[in-house]
Amino acid sequence: MLKFSDFNLNPRRVGLMASLSLRESLRKRLVAVLLILTALFVGFYLYGIYRMYLDFLDRPGGLDPVTGELGSALIPVNFAAMFGMYLVTFLGSLMAVLSTVGSVSADVESGVVQSVISRPVSRAELVAGRWLGFSIVNAAYVLLVSAVMLGGVYLITGFMPPNPLAAIALIVLSILLTTALTVLGSTLFTTLANGIGVFVLYGVGMAGGFLNAIGTLVNSPVMQTLSRAANTLMPTNELWLGASYHLQHPEVNAGLKLSPVPNPLFGSDPVSPAMLLWSICLTVLAVLAAMWHFSRRDL
Amino acid sequence: MLRSMTVPLASTPVIVTHDLRKSYGPKEVVRGLNLRVGRGEVFGFLGPNGAGKSTTVKMLLGLVRPTSGQLQVLGGSPDNPAVRARLGFLPEQFRFQTWMTGDEFLTFHGQLAGLRSAEIRARVPQVLERVGLAGRGGERLEGYSKGMLQRAGLASALLARPELVFLDEPTSALDPIGRIEVRRIIEDLRGEGVSVFLNSHLLAEVEQVCDHVAFVRQGQVLRQGRLSEVMGGDLRVRVELDTAPPATLNILRSFGPILSQQAQPAGTVTLEVGLNSESQVPELARRLLDSGAQLYALTPLRPELEDIFLELVGQSGEAAPAPTNAPEAAHA
Ligand SMILES: Nc1ncnc2c1ncn2[C@@H]1O[C@H](COP(=O)(O)OP(=O)(O)O)[C@@H](O)[C@H]1O
Ligand SMILES: [Mg+2]
Repeated sequence: MLKFSDFNLNPRRVGLMASLSLRESLRKRLVAVLLILTALFVGFYLYGIYRMYLDFLDRPGGLDPVTGELGSALIPVNFAAMFGMYLVTFLGSLMAVLSTVGSVSADVESGVVQSVISRPVSRAELVAGRWLGFSIVNAAYVLLVSAVMLGGVYLITGFMPPNPLAAIALIVLSILLTTALTVLGSTLFTTLANGIGVFVLYGVGMAGGFLNAIGTLVNSPVMQTLSRAANTLMPTNELWLGASYHLQHPEVNAGLKLSPVPNPLFGSDPVSPAMLLWSICLTVLAVLAAMWHFSRRDL
Repeated sequence: MLRSMTVPLASTPVIVTHDLRKSYGPKEVVRGLNLRVGRGEVFGFLGPNGAGKSTTVKMLLGLVRPTSGQLQVLGGSPDNPAVRARLGFLPEQFRFQTWMTGDEFLTFHGQLAGLRSAEIRARVPQVLERVGLAGRGGERLEGYSKGMLQRAGLASALLARPELVFLDEPTSALDPIGRIEVRRIIEDLRGEGVSVFLNSHLLAEVEQVCDHVAFVRQGQVLRQGRLSEVMGGDLRVRVELDTAPPATLNILRSFGPILSQQAQPAGTVTLEVGLNSESQVPELARRLLDSGAQLYALTPLRPELEDIFLELVGQSGEAAPAPTNAPEAAHA
């Protein structure tokens, strides 16, 4: 049964729970380790791009160091930026799941939640605050790494994708969705089971992309239906494909559109408004379902 | 103090439950609990491990959903945040956010309880001092010993000046001095008119501070009432005489049953007689002396809480009740 009081939120107390989550993430030293490792990884990747840039300087028809025209380097540089952002999205999702996997369940398992819930804070407020706090952490991470990746490519090669903000917005939405589903799982399952569950779900989204790529190639309606089901269940891959569209130079986009080889990593069309809307709905529904279920269980 | 002037009639109960039940799957953990705790009472909820004490407290705090039955805490439902704002709770597993310092932990709980920040700043050192952690608030909880953590939990239970405090095995991690300190804190709370619901399997703890007790076993209350009533139920006197001729025995029987008779090495005889009330004691003494008996001693015996506990609770542990056709019975 649905009770309105399950969804009654006091902003002050939601804020308290969110700030608890923020401080918890920052304090647990996990973030520092993650940031250092991420910096190493991004630095390594950008160094590769830098070497490629140096190679192209020597090639006839390659980069023009005077005008800054990319010439024949446009396609490899654009792909390097897209692959880089693919990795950023993957890392961001991984980080979102790992940071949030025990957001509720770990406190239930340890008993910490008992002293919190015996205070005048509702269970819905706890769940909403946890989602909000971890969403801020996870989104901030993806924003930061995206900015470093695209900024680095720009500084090295002078290439900026046509619509980076739209791409980053879609990636952030996918992170918010992943965070919401992880919080929901954290109210339903143990920390370990939740981690496994969310990764499987993430895999379902990727499988949807693969099925679609091959289904389109061989013109198989069944495969395309399966793919649509997978993408509806877990739209994160769809959101990434849509984001990658905004990272493509028109020449690269035209090339991808004409290519007969299926490409499950990049999309050549923007995300459909329906899918965009559904992703937002699913995020909200996941948080509401988490609030509803957590209000019912024994602690 | 202003506080005590705002306390309503002493008869208003702070906890009422009616046929409260909780099952986990097929297992009935709490079976038809009828409790009534009056305002200002220190109520001891006493029973062996697994009796359902913690489950009961969690239901009273809204942490666990009852399977059936009704409960009222401070005149309302613990699902109502306004009711929980007036409660304090020290959980049995005192696990807190270990990455916080003691001060941060209490500040966080003060904020959750809706205290103003000036009040929190004033109150945190007070409660730390009260539980014996003065000056330790700057340290991280992960560096606290178990005893310190339990004290920190007690501090958080007292933080928001609650009207009703639930303490679930509050001294389980404390040394004897810590236990005495907790007893003092409970006595102070009683002095301030705060009601206390004390879960314990330790008789001594309950005996020393509680004015009302309930004995619970396997989810059922076996006996409850004022400590003096629960204990005063069967009064006995031990009589030591030179001899016990039939005439003397008849006098004794007119007061109550003779429960035991023992010859002593010194040549005297001791007898235990059950009485209906304490007021019979002087009369008994007079009748014995009038009959010419040599009375060496006349001692009223109060049953120890422990005796009542053993008698009522019988067994400890969480063993399943023995089946009616136990193998031993088959051999007999
Ligand atoms: N979440 C749970 N699931 C299943 N059984 C439980 C749960 N919580 C408690 N129990 C069982 O309920 C009984 C009473 O537990 P508890 O209330 O903790 O007892 P006490 O506090 O009196 O020692 C125990 O047998 C315990 O195993
Ligand atoms: Mg217990």
